[in-house]
Amino acid sequence: MSDTKTGVHVHDGDIAPGDERADGTEVAEGIRGYLIGLALSVAATVVAFFLVGTSLVWQPSIPAAVIVLAIAQMGVHVVFFLHITTRPDSVNNVMALTFGIFVVFVLIVGSVWIMTHLNYNMIPMERLMQMQR
Amino acid sequence: MFGKLTWDAIPWGHPIPLIAGFGAFGAVGALVVFLLYKGYGPYLWREWITSCDHKRIGVMYVLLAGVMMLRGLTDAIMMRSQLAIAYNAAGYLPPDHYDQIFSAHGTIMILFMAMPFMIGLMNIVLPLQLGVRDVAFPTLNSISFWLTATGALLINLSLLIGEFAKTGWLPYPPLSELTYSPGVGVDYYLWAVQIAGVGTLLTGVNFIATILKLRAPGMTLMRMPMFTWTALVSVLLIVVAFPIFTATLAMLTLDRYLGFHFFTNEAGGNMMMFMNLVWAWGHPEVYILVMPAYGIFSEVVQTFSGKPLFGYRSMVIAAMSIGVLALLVWLHHFFTMGAGGDVNAFFGIMTAIIAVPTGVKMFNWLFTMYRGRIVFATPMMWAVAFMVTFAIGGMTGVMLSVPPADFVMHNSLFLVAHFHNVIIGGVVFAAFAGYTYWFPKAFGFRLIESWGKVAFWCWVTGFYLAFMPLYALGLMGATRRMQHYDVAAWHPWMLVAEVGIILVWIGIACQITQLVKSFRHKEELRDLTGDPWNGRSFEWSTTSPPPAFNFAELPRVADRDAYWLAKQRAIETQSLAPEPAYKDIELPRNSPTGVVCAFFASFLGFAMIWHIWWLAALSFIGAFATFVAFAWRDRDEYRISAAEVARIDRANRGSRLAAIAQLGAAP
Amino acid sequence: MSMARTDVGFAGGAVNVPVVHAEGGVASKRIVTAYGFWVFLLSDVVMFSAFFAAYVVLVNMTDGGPSGRDLFNLSIVALETGCLLLSSFTCGVASLGARARNNSWYYGGMIATAILGVAFLLLEFRDFTNLIAQGAGPSRSAFLSAYFALVGCHGVHVTMGVLFLLTMMAQVYAKGYRPDILRRVLCFGLFWHTLDIIWVGIFSVVYLLGVAP
Repeated sequence: MSDTKTGVHVHDGDIAPGDERADGTEVAEGIRGYLIGLALSVAATVVAFFLVGTSLVWQPSIPAAVIVLAIAQMGVHVVFFLHITTRPDSVNNVMALTFGIFVVFVLIVGSVWIMTHLNYNMIPMERLMQMQR
Repeated sequence: MFGKLTWDAIPWGHPIPLIAGFGAFGAVGALVVFLLYKGYGPYLWREWITSCDHKRIGVMYVLLAGVMMLRGLTDAIMMRSQLAIAYNAAGYLPPDHYDQIFSAHGTIMILFMAMPFMIGLMNIVLPLQLGVRDVAFPTLNSISFWLTATGALLINLSLLIGEFAKTGWLPYPPLSELTYSPGVGVDYYLWAVQIAGVGTLLTGVNFIATILKLRAPGMTLMRMPMFTWTALVSVLLIVVAFPIFTATLAMLTLDRYLGFHFFTNEAGGNMMMFMNLVWAWGHPEVYILVMPAYGIFSEVVQTFSGKPLFGYRSMVIAAMSIGVLALLVWLHHFFTMGAGGDVNAFFGIMTAIIAVPTGVKMFNWLFTMYRGRIVFATPMMWAVAFMVTFAIGGMTGVMLSVPPADFVMHNSLFLVAHFHNVIIGGVVFAAFAGYTYWFPKAFGFRLIESWGKVAFWCWVTGFYLAFMPLYALGLMGATRRMQHYDVAAWHPWMLVAEVGIILVWIGIACQITQLVKSFRHKEELRDLTGDPWNGRSFEWSTTSPPPAFNFAELPRVADRDAYWLAKQRAIETQSLAPEPAYKDIELPRNSPTGVVCAFFASFLGFAMIWHIWWLAALSFIGAFATFVAFAWRDRDEYRISAAEVARIDRANRGSRLAAIAQLGAAP
Repeated sequence: MSMARTDVGFAGGAVNVPVVHAEGGVASKRIVTAYGFWVFLLSDVVMFSAFFAAYVVLVNMTDGGPSGRDLFNLSIVALETGCLLLSSFTCGVASLGARARNNSWYYGGMIATAILGVAFLLLEFRDFTNLIAQGAGPSRSAFLSAYFALVGCHGVHVTMGVLFLLTMMAQVYAKGYRPDILRRVLCFGLFWHTLDIIWVGIFSVVYLLGVAP
């Protein structure tokens, strides 16, 4: 197809991030996806809040469970609200997202690892003050 | 009313910054008045200041970089001179000034010289190499440039009004906190760098969208020129690294302005976290600088060896590997901060590993040259000097990557020598190679070769004389940021280094002479064919300078080095492909958004620095209003008629025929 | 069957090659704009992760002052979360409305999103002022600095999002469903949904893990 305004041949094998392929002009159809996303997100949120308040679950597992639920809910948002899927027309969008997630992971995990070690090796304040005299 | 600003902000009692400040601003002011008086105002406004054309914006970036290089080199010769005489003496620069000078030197050279230079060259060349009309977001491009210029303006303003940071080019807390830096110096740094940083981030977004979504039909990623590949890696790093810098500087700003405790001594702040976060940006930053440099050398080495780049695929893999590894090594900047053996070992090994893909690239350049017909034009000379110099710098880097060795050499002059070795040998040499190589494309006439060669020898000799002694000095125990010393053995080396920087300045003088003389003789040096070096990629298929629309019809690409192949076929048949069916072309209109946004950003930065809150609020509203006004316009493109396109293109075809006749006649 | 061939060339020469599926090529403006904005959003996510990293590092540095367990009110957080989550849904409705050029769905969705967004901001603003009033402001300790910076940064983004939203309503009102306006509506959607993703991270790591035993 051609972008006749600029006289340039336009090639659309990809989809814009956030766009849906369905060309239906019906609002009602599209709403289904958003409703499913909303329902799943609400479920994940409610469970997470519940877990923190309850004593029914083995306590040490709660942080891990909350994190897992968070990641799951982020996934729900990405698929149902942002329409970023693994279909071939969304590959560029997924690669960008993957790169971003990789950097976030390296930064947070790396920083925590480094800072914990630094703190662990830090001379205690009293000893440090003693050394100043 | 004026916050902390008083008349005392001007350094009346300090002749050096006073004269420098008044001199610099006086000169710029005089130039502006002169240009307006001569009637160049409307032309400059229409053709340059409000231009959204990537070629114009690129030239302005390089010009900014050149001007800031002069400021950075002035700082450099001041420091070297101080150290040459400050043996058992106080020298001529009090510590107060010396600290500002080395801080300004680093900030300017990295963020306002090297970055704009590389971004400028990418701006000029990328759309042409990709075979398209402009970048993805032309007006955003203009905004990016002007925000960078705002940052440069603020830094230079600190010379005349107030002071600059005394913390080094990365403002480590707690020194950079309000308690120990109560003046405006660190604030100048923070606002100048944050504002310029927004510009750089937007450039990163712009170029990623351009390279990944706007290429000539048929140009798959594996058919792109190598400069485009390395530019892609560079801008990918910009987009993921700069936000870390933004956040970290914001945390420091919050500490200084609103009493937060991210990095303070009291209330639980952790100043080591600043080092961690800032280097998580800082290391990718140097790869942001050096990747385009590698790309420039790939282009130059191919062209001046008359052979295609050896090992294209491995070059791509090497570039991407370097990009990923660059994100995994940042702790090597603070091995000595005490993270312990495990952490140091991991990052030391990752750092050493980066040498591998770099070596792959180095060998590929050498294999490209092997059995080529080498033409030692100035760009190629810079390339050979780069290969030798960067190899040395890289090797000292591998030395430093060994944590126990780094414990001895950290923050010594050995370190200073290493990073200047790789940045000058890599980025600056590439900047000069790219400048000489693409100058004819941008301006339509070549630079005088002889002056270029003289400048080259002055620069290279000067660099070695200035920095090789620093390796020795570092091993002898000399530290960085040292204002005076009393070790006799160091003095002769300092004197040799002084000779080096003087030679570098002679080199700069030669380059300025080259520019002026080339401009005077531009008719004799005119590039009539658009392809003065017999290049391999699409920028050489246009006139010099290219028309606003770059290509009358976007080229259709079936192979790597598509232009070279088509050119060979054209030389054989001594004919061109038939004329395309000319169509109207729409191009982005000029927009004052960039310069107006920068205008408000300058006042915002200045107001925040001096705590003039009403001015800050007004400027912020002004910047936002500009943005909305820009979003409201209805016509954002102008049309060039098919007839006009045809007229321009037919002239191009005429010169192409002349070129292939010339190339066909040559043996 | 012989492969189709074509002359590939331009004003520099021509090469005769087989026809191949052309990759590369100029993408449509909608894709270019949205992709560029997506990349920018990812850079914003990295910026948030720097604040997250700082928060995680400083979470225990309370300088003898109040910790998350002492300060966080999970009912307010639940309310805020509900507002944002629902606003993501209404934003989706607005996007569908824009695509269908249906004024009621578009304006309805946008207004609902705005109301929910402003409700979130009011709740958060009240929460912040309460904390500051009880001496648990950002200058009390490093933990509180990190907390206010991270959550505050998100709040600033939501504020900018509401301004973006109002501008998009005004633009559609003034200029109709023009292609360039629709591109911006798409970008707004991306922005708003991403902000909710960040909030999922915040309420989980800051609030829930902050009060978890």
